[in-house]
Amino acid sequence: MGIDKVEAGDAELVLRIRAGDLEAYSELVARYRDRLGRYAVHMIGNREDAEEALQDAFVRAYRSLARCNDPARFGAWLYGILVNRCRTTGARASRRHKMFVHDEDALNGAAHADQAERVEWADVVGRALAKLSPECREAFLLKHVEDLEYEEMAELTGAGISALKMRVKRAREHLQQILKEAEHV
Amino acid sequence: MFDQQEPGEEEIVERVVRALKRPVYIDRALDARVMSEIARPAPAQPMTRRAWTRRAWPWLAAAAALAAIVIARPWSRDRTPPQSGALQFVLIAPQAASVSLVGDFNDWDPTRAPMRAARDGVWATVVSLSPGRYRYAFLVNGVEWRADPTAPVARDDEFGSPSSVVTVGGRGS
Repeated sequence: MGIDKVEAGDAELVLRIRAGDLEAYSELVARYRDRLGRYAVHMIGNREDAEEALQDAFVRAYRSLARCNDPARFGAWLYGILVNRCRTTGARASRRHKMFVHDEDALNGAAHADQAERVEWADVVGRALAKLSPECREAFLLKHVEDLEYEEMAELTGAGISALKMRVKRAREHLQQILKEAEHV
Repeated sequence: MFDQQEPGEEEIVERVVRALKRPVYIDRALDARVMSEIARPAPAQPMTRRAWTRRAWPWLAAAAALAAIVIARPWSRDRTPPQSGALQFVLIAPQAASVSLVGDFNDWDPTRAPMRAARDGVWATVVSLSPGRYRYAFLVNGVEWRADPTAPVARDDEFGSPSSVVTVGGRGS
């Protein structure tokens, strides 16, 4: 998914909201909830905090909708707000408790061995991701999971392209190191 | 632990990415919480001590000596938070055809606080604010966002355009 991909109907929905149609916003929330939620969960590493950040991003975006200069790119604009919210929430959460998504329920409920292994692997990945610095985790997720171009990442994060490339490189190296060690445990 | 064979470095990253790209379930109740929240009036943000502020000026008094106020900027030496009530916002923009004041207090809606042009390109408007911390900006000619050059920059702003901060104190604070 590139940040420049224009969601059909986003501009129309934004214009309807600006004209006072509050319900049109619920369509945008439903449209972006899961996609942005995935980023928030991986970035913050805690589902409750991630949903709080996501909710906050949606509310802030609504209240500042007049500042969305290009309604057709509402998704990219909203993404920028969420990235910022995740930074704030993540910093707060890391002071409060150690982060990572540990899906014990999913692990216990896994019916098959391969499913259990997949859940266990996801847990290992979550722990490894939590060991990265927030900057490296952010860059890795935006580049490899959200499939953004470096120019798009620079626009969202405010960081330079060379710095972002370095962060992605470090994240890859660090993940490889952590996960190789995990596989030898 | 997961594979019998020693995986290559690229393969590890690919497996990580595959795991992270799987859909993540987000509580559908979030939609209702968002819609409930946005139906409420926007709250002012909590005040911060470090925010610089400027003194409130009643509109009529300010209008009488607008140019002098802009040049002298008496509030720049006074960091006492302005009191809640009518606050005047001023921007010098001689080339502008229109200027609006937008901020947290009016949902960033440029139609709610259009500024009036006085002489020498001085634009001004007055809004009533309750105690709190607000981010705001000027929208020039309907397209150009400008922060207030006399106020602190809003560093916690994430909307992609410059903005400023004003902190309003309560009566008697």
